[in-house]
Amino acid sequence: MADVKSLEHPTLKVPYEILNKKFRTAQKTLDREVSHVQQAALEIEKGISGEHVKSNDITKLLGGMVEKLQVLKRKAEESITEELQATNVCKRRLEHLKEHATLTSTGMISQGALNQWRRKRLDRMVVEYFLRNGYYNAAIKLAERSNIKDLTNIDIFLISREVEKSLASHETSKCLSWCHDNRSKLRKLKSNMEFNLRIQEFVELIRSDRRMDAIKHARKHFPSFEEEHLSTIQKVMALLAFPVATEIPSYKALFDEGRWETLIEEFRQENFRLFQLASQSVFTVALQAGLSALKTPYPFILLIFCYSESSENRNPTCPVCQKYLNQLAEHLPFAHCSQSRLYCHISGLPLNENNQPMMLPNGYVYGEQALEQMARENEGQVICPKTKEIFQFKKLDKVFVM
Amino acid sequence: MDACCAVEREVDRVLSKFGVIGEHASRTLYDLISYIEGLKLELENAPEGHELTPIQSDLLKQAMVKVKETVTRLATDHRDLHSTVSKVGKAIDRNFTADFAVTSRDDIFSDPDKINLLNKVVYQHFCRQGMQDVANELAQEAPVKIDCGSNETFMELNHILESLKNKELEPALAWATALHDNLEAINSSLEFKLHRLKFIELLKQGAAYQTEAISYARTHFRQFVRRHEKDIQTLMGMLLFVPNGISSSPYSFMLDNEMWVEIYEVFTLDACNLLGVSVDSPLAICVNAGCTAIPALLNIKQVMMQRQVTGIWNGKDELPIEIDLGTDQHYHSMFACPILRQQSTEVNPPMRLLCGHVISRDALTKLSNGNKMKCPYCPIEQSPTDAKLIFF
Repeated sequence: MADVKSLEHPTLKVPYEILNKKFRTAQKTLDREVSHVQQAALEIEKGISGEHVKSNDITKLLGGMVEKLQVLKRKAEESITEELQATNVCKRRLEHLKEHATLTSTGMISQGALNQWRRKRLDRMVVEYFLRNGYYNAAIKLAERSNIKDLTNIDIFLISREVEKSLASHETSKCLSWCHDNRSKLRKLKSNMEFNLRIQEFVELIRSDRRMDAIKHARKHFPSFEEEHLSTIQKVMALLAFPVATEIPSYKALFDEGRWETLIEEFRQENFRLFQLASQSVFTVALQAGLSALKTPYPFILLIFCYSESSENRNPTCPVCQKYLNQLAEHLPFAHCSQSRLYCHISGLPLNENNQPMMLPNGYVYGEQALEQMARENEGQVICPKTKEIFQFKKLDKVFVM
Repeated sequence: MDACCAVEREVDRVLSKFGVIGEHASRTLYDLISYIEGLKLELENAPEGHELTPIQSDLLKQAMVKVKETVTRLATDHRDLHSTVSKVGKAIDRNFTADFAVTSRDDIFSDPDKINLLNKVVYQHFCRQGMQDVANELAQEAPVKIDCGSNETFMELNHILESLKNKELEPALAWATALHDNLEAINSSLEFKLHRLKFIELLKQGAAYQTEAISYARTHFRQFVRRHEKDIQTLMGMLLFVPNGISSSPYSFMLDNEMWVEIYEVFTLDACNLLGVSVDSPLAICVNAGCTAIPALLNIKQVMMQRQVTGIWNGKDELPIEIDLGTDQHYHSMFACPILRQQSTEVNPPMRLLCGHVISRDALTKLSNGNKMKCPYCPIEQSPTDAKLIFF
């Protein structure tokens, strides 16, 4: 249960943020339509307040009011349905998470079902990882194959894909309309996204040598950012005085095409913040922790880590011994261990009072059971599987590990 | 569970309130519309050029007040739901950890080399799971080309496993026969078990096929006599009951569906063993281990922050606490010196004292006095030079 608590925040928070946004738009729509109706009501009131009112005029006004009321009814129903849909997404995800809780808390753990749930979780995590790295098709495919579309945040990433694409082809309109959509939220987050887009537009105007248009653009858009960004604005305005091929470093940087890449990156980050997604994906966080927990500084003789390339210390079932994973684990911390945990390299069984650790004369330690069996099969001789040296079984010494 | 329930309570509340307000809105608006339409109809029926009577205008005035009131109420009612909605968000924040990433370092997996490695791992994972299409999509979209030679082997294995599920033995048999020597070397009984199933399948088809079954046994069972004599005797014994039906014989257990489940597992195990890969996907093992580790790591991080000792955990050498991953998740021996309570390393390896007790080299140096030392566990006195470096 603890892992659900600490890892599933984004799973629930994102649909909540969507619900919240839906609520705001619904409220706005309602307010607007309500004010239309009220307007109509005022008109009718004004109409009947005079003397000698023609019933004809009033019926016309009443007709208008009925129309407006119908619009209000339709929009209210639509908005509320959307809100209900968004809430149901939350609900579905909660049910998925609760499945895990009932699996683990009833005491009767069905390993199969739990594994199934974990596989689903891994797929969910990988979908998110794909999305964050921009592998959209792979993400969609995986979500379809594993039937987890409802449980992942593909939709918001697909919106952001459109924006990223347009930014990559040096267009600002889509990103600007995204800024507009989320204006209040972005303001709360103190986002500079819109300002940076406006600067970029300004730079592009100068690049295409439309300096007068650039000035017009600046007049129109920069004043609203004056309070916070005055010095930046001054610097950007100075651009008007320089040729596109300028060599002055700070202005050359503004003309750099790489700024578009920075914008895309900034947009991604802002989008994450908007939906309260952490800067790292759950997948990489979990993988890091997992690799650390499994990484052992042992055996330390040949190359210090368990992921030494030499195959004799490799354990084929150890994930950290796999080629790529152990390269990934290179800079991660080791697992902490204050109590020895020893296993026989031959049989994989734990070494304890039932399977005494025995030392060969060359210093290697194995389990008594495996060595005894080997001696039985080889006329009292044992072969060290690591060094291939041959010893008499009676030359073996007991080892006591506290 | 509590966490989920707490959030669910809020979500249910939102659902019911939105349901109520939705219904209420359509009903009242519907009433309102028909009311106004009624008024309109009444006025339309009046003769041309008719002027409003005072009663009519009074009625209209009241109607307008009612319209305004109702719609304003609607907007306010909806606005009042805001607190219910935001309670969901608060419940989520209260019950779930938002900053789960604090325990990890974001620079580790961010450079292109590492991303490439990570993609390779994910690619292999999906090859193993038999989701080749997902793996292919990834290979196309990833910035660096992924080439892992092993994926054809996995495709073959997945194909065989798929056919085993459908109770087809041929692909698995062909595979096992081709690798006969290698299977023999790891003491695998896979090939025999496959032949055994094939034989049983033949017997199941009744007396008409028994000659065929016997000749099958003759060709294939001979090579397994050394290790499976007993099993072969059992199989031959089944022949006795073929005419009367094996299901009513003492051998009925051989027809159990369990045999197919077993062969599926044996095949997975032996094939993975032969290829030197783990049975479960390494990626899955790591991520599941991580999911177990993170709550503990988050806890300790929080405690460290409260005590203002965060500096101790630099995230480089060792995790600050031991993570219990369960017994089947240990792949290497770990020796921790019982004196210094430290994990042994290359420079501080375990040493076996003359009496058989093991301590680390650092502990040995600290305990020794000149060329004499006493074992900390037993009364034997010895020279530190007698201690022997050991390897687990």
